[in-house]
Amino acid sequence: MKNLFSEFKNFRPKRREIPLDNIITSKEKVMQTLIKSYNKLVEQEAKELVWLVSYHSVIRAYASAEKSIKNMEYGVEDIEEFLFEIEDSSKLPYPIMGLSGIYTAALCNHAKEREIVFDLRNRNITLHLLGYRLPEGKKLLVYGDLGDFTGIGLNGGEIWVEGNTGNWTGAGMKRGKMVIKKNVGRRTGEDMVGGEIYVEGKILGIGNIRYGRVYEKGEIVSL
Amino acid sequence: MKKIPKSTWLKIRKKHFFPPLPFPKIEKGQEKAALEIKNKQISIDEDFLSQISEKMPESDAIEALLDHATAHYTFCPWDFANYLRLYAEAKKVCNDKDMAKKSTDYFMDVVVDTYCVKEKQSTIPSLYKHMEKGKIDQVICALYQKIWGKDLNVSGSDELVKKLMRLPYINKKRWTEVIKRFTHILRPLLEEEMLKSASNPLGDHKSMFSKESIDKGLMELAQSAASPKAFSELVDDFKEELEETGYLGQGIGRGRGQETMANILYYIKLAQNYTLPLKKLPERKSGSIYPHSHSPWEIERPYYDIDIWTSFGKFLPGLTQVWNRKEGEILYLEEKVPNCLIIIDSSGSMIDPRKNLSYAVLGAACACEAYLKYGSEIAVYNFSDAEVGGRYLLPFTKDRMAIYQSLCKYFGGGTYLKSSDIKAFEGNDMDIFLITDMKISNFSEVVNYFNDIKNRVTAVHIGKSTHSKRFALSVSKKTNISLYHVEKKEDIPKIVLGKVKEYLHQMF
Repeated sequence: MKNLFSEFKNFRPKRREIPLDNIITSKEKVMQTLIKSYNKLVEQEAKELVWLVSYHSVIRAYASAEKSIKNMEYGVEDIEEFLFEIEDSSKLPYPIMGLSGIYTAALCNHAKEREIVFDLRNRNITLHLLGYRLPEGKKLLVYGDLGDFTGIGLNGGEIWVEGNTGNWTGAGMKRGKMVIKKNVGRRTGEDMVGGEIYVEGKILGIGNIRYGRVYEKGEIVSL
Repeated sequence: MKKIPKSTWLKIRKKHFFPPLPFPKIEKGQEKAALEIKNKQISIDEDFLSQISEKMPESDAIEALLDHATAHYTFCPWDFANYLRLYAEAKKVCNDKDMAKKSTDYFMDVVVDTYCVKEKQSTIPSLYKHMEKGKIDQVICALYQKIWGKDLNVSGSDELVKKLMRLPYINKKRWTEVIKRFTHILRPLLEEEMLKSASNPLGDHKSMFSKESIDKGLMELAQSAASPKAFSELVDDFKEELEETGYLGQGIGRGRGQETMANILYYIKLAQNYTLPLKKLPERKSGSIYPHSHSPWEIERPYYDIDIWTSFGKFLPGLTQVWNRKEGEILYLEEKVPNCLIIIDSSGSMIDPRKNLSYAVLGAACACEAYLKYGSEIAVYNFSDAEVGGRYLLPFTKDRMAIYQSLCKYFGGGTYLKSSDIKAFEGNDMDIFLITDMKISNFSEVVNYFNDIKNRVTAVHIGKSTHSKRFALSVSKKTNISLYHVEKKEDIPKIVLGKVKEYLHQMF
């Protein structure tokens, strides 16, 4: 018996393409690479079972992050998109906020753009360790709150936070400037060896500052 | 007055695979909007059409507007449930109902316009090129330029467009995630627009849904809402729209969308998701016969029953097939379902139905829906400490709202069930549905009362207690009492459903 539909066997409906299709395809490609390398980083670090922020673990994780994003082509929009992916977390199996902060810091430090703006207002995400080792010539502007260890080891860059930051803000920073429009937590500027931290709100506690300056509402509070 | 050519509407319908929409109209005066969609009726503003036809062919403008409006029904949002889902996500980002509505409107417009341009070869780009634009429209047109690859005579807003153009608008599965990002990016502009009270040039979408669609949407929302509070917050956001479509007027009756009304609506819609079916009805022979099965034909059997199709045209005993006939059966309803008295405990040990999902209220609501479905009447006896006035009695009625209002009442405090109150309902041939945690202070009196009555009783008690054990023991020999013991409150709706079904079967 003849199959009446055999004539349609090779029929393929015409697919109209618009530029959006290409934009989405290339964006998805970059995003997949970012997520893949992030997952790799998490897998490496998850061996520790409990990932604690310590001097060595941060250095090690940052080095791994730097290595995994080497030769990667991405832009600020991709980093923003990555933060949305972390927030949704359905595509990321282990949303460890410390690691995502380090990974985002590495992405920011190696991005082509000099100025990076994140809008984290009304978002279900708390980023720790953002601004880690931000180099000279880079400016990070964040709308919303950041978590602990913001701007640690700052290396000449500039961080503006239009919100609050957590404990250990600016710890171990070398050079550069941080401006926090609202309040900061305890141990602010712990072990910092240079640079300036301007807090327009309240500082919950100052750390042991070696060199550098911390200002609260315009007045110097570091001795 | 201008009219839309039949051929244009036919073309649009064909493009969109013949959606069931009425013939669109051209009307005057639609408050600045080019398009109005009310309960599936698409209306194009005549003044807008005259203005735009100076810049582009009128037929193209009509086609573009109809494409846009039709795609709202065929693609996004499709129905009220989807619209609510999108709105809820947008509201999470901006925490403001008007801003969330605006953002949802803009998002849906971007989705349908892009869909039409990609899938339906629409004249929409030409419409946007010649239309007057506000600030957000400028940004959206700049976005269209990038994602459609068409020149729409706009420039600027590169930073925003760079972010907006990365969103997969046509991917249905990702809409809830995409609208969040869309709202997040557009938020500064939306805040500005809220101050100016500027409106969407293609009109808003608040009245486009039919009552049936709203009904279905609310049922889905009730199922997915985290709590009655979350449901009532969302319903409250759409109070005006629901009133406008006449939904609140018809469905709720009194109170015009007050929080308690939204709470009641929550339990109604949730219970309607669990509507109980009655199983089979008794069968009776109809007396007429009809072909039922085949058997081989034998030489002495009449040939008029031969089925020539299964006999392959052969007339041979053993090979040829004949029809066996069987007497038909019809269904009929013999008895009616009796009325039901729902006795619900709203003492302090029970969950407050306004704050959290009360499985007691939901269970009672499911039973109520089952009885109402068969035309029976419901009476409610809501009690806490009845001795000191913590009680509410609703006489037998079919008024769903009154019943739900009585079920959702919450007194708190102690638990005292007055059997004399229940006796007030007697004289009716009624079933009794009791739902409580059995921590009743006059427990012995209650047990004695239930031991004496002959009505069929379904008693549901929550959690383990000595009282529930004692109640189970004392009524164990009573065949008219079906008792349910539940470990977890979450089990109540399922068990109530099953039991009531079984219960209703017994009468046939």
